[in-house]
Amino acid sequence: MLNREECNQKTDEELVKITLIDPDIFLCLSKRYENKLLYYIMRISKFSRDDAEDVLQEVFIKTYYNLNGFDQNLRFSSWIYRITHNETVSAIRKKSVRLTISFERVDLEKFEDALDLGKEVDNSLDRLNINKALSKIDDKYREVLVLRYLDEKEYVEISDILKKPVSTIGNLILRGKKLFKEEYLKLITKEEYNGK
Amino acid sequence: MRTKNISQIAQERIIKENIKPISRTVFSFKRVLFWTLVFSSIIIGAISFAIILNALLDNDWYLFGVYGLNFVFKTLPYFWFMSLLIFMIVGDYYYRQTLLGYRKSLIFIIVVYLSSTIVLGSLFYWVGVGMYIEKSIENNMPSYRGIILNRHQFWSHPEDGLLSGEIIRIKEGELEIMDFDGLMWVIDTSQSKIYDDSRIEIGERVKILGKIKMGLIFKATEIRSWLNLDK
Repeated sequence: MLNREECNQKTDEELVKITLIDPDIFLCLSKRYENKLLYYIMRISKFSRDDAEDVLQEVFIKTYYNLNGFDQNLRFSSWIYRITHNETVSAIRKKSVRLTISFERVDLEKFEDALDLGKEVDNSLDRLNINKALSKIDDKYREVLVLRYLDEKEYVEISDILKKPVSTIGNLILRGKKLFKEEYLKLITKEEYNGK
Repeated sequence: MRTKNISQIAQERIIKENIKPISRTVFSFKRVLFWTLVFSSIIIGAISFAIILNALLDNDWYLFGVYGLNFVFKTLPYFWFMSLLIFMIVGDYYYRQTLLGYRKSLIFIIVVYLSSTIVLGSLFYWVGVGMYIEKSIENNMPSYRGIILNRHQFWSHPEDGLLSGEIIRIKEGELEIMDFDGLMWVIDTSQSKIYDDSRIEIGERVKILGKIKMGLIFKATEIRSWLNLDK
């Protein structure tokens, strides 16, 4: 078993190779992704933390079970995000719920910057509108916006996670941003009108 | 907020339930299988293209002047165009199942698929694979002729002066043929032009232009071998 320092020095891909010889090393790999994936699950689903943790547990089991299928041509990060995405979508289907997302303040601030809303966003009320606007746009657009602006993934990585062509990802992001802005502006215009 | 150590729980489950990673061979087999299916789709597409090419180049274009576009629509090998389309979709589907296949756009896959099938299909046509396969299907599947070969249907309208069939007997100024519906016809060849007469022999298939004289007697003006070797 590697100690924490040795573990930190290894790349994901190196850890995968060692895990296949010594299964205990998998813990080192899963710890590395625990928080990122937990938040990712919560962002793309309406799951409570408990439910998201259950999904994450399954993600780790599936990842370990399919470890021989990981190809070094891919980034491990993209691969485990893909498993997480599929597992979350499958869990959402099982629960048959319509997603209504609630983002944390830090996430919304990231969206403000990324989607260039600086001028429009004045207060926390507007952040509530960002949240509402994000909930209104189609899942497929929200999904790419989350991966791009909150998980800070490159286009190729998003393409690997969602198994879609890179050009399609580019179009989804572009269209997603446009739809989001339209929804957001609709909300603030309505509020201004009501205010008057 | 309560925090669980999910990684630790998962690790304990792996040990407790004795979960082992699926063998590498299974994944290698899947990869080989998907690529085999992709290449099979290209090969079948190429065969379809070779038969399309054969049907187009071997078509009776000298009738275009008489029947116009109607002739083209009636003799196009729709079945093989459909086969090419279906196997392009199948090829696209399995290519996307390969490791990085999903990264490519649909347009890219269509262009690569069509280029490969056109190049390989032309080669198949050139060495006669397309014709050989079509003949084999025709001989082994009687229904193929009726359903698929529009050309047979086109040449099975004696009332419009188009007749075809297999030569059963040859006499001076006369042929006896059995058409594709099994009817025996006597062909008056006294005033007809016979193209590629070296192939006019018993067992050969011919197509005949002319008109019905009476009953099952047909007065031929032009007789050609079924295969357009001499146009």
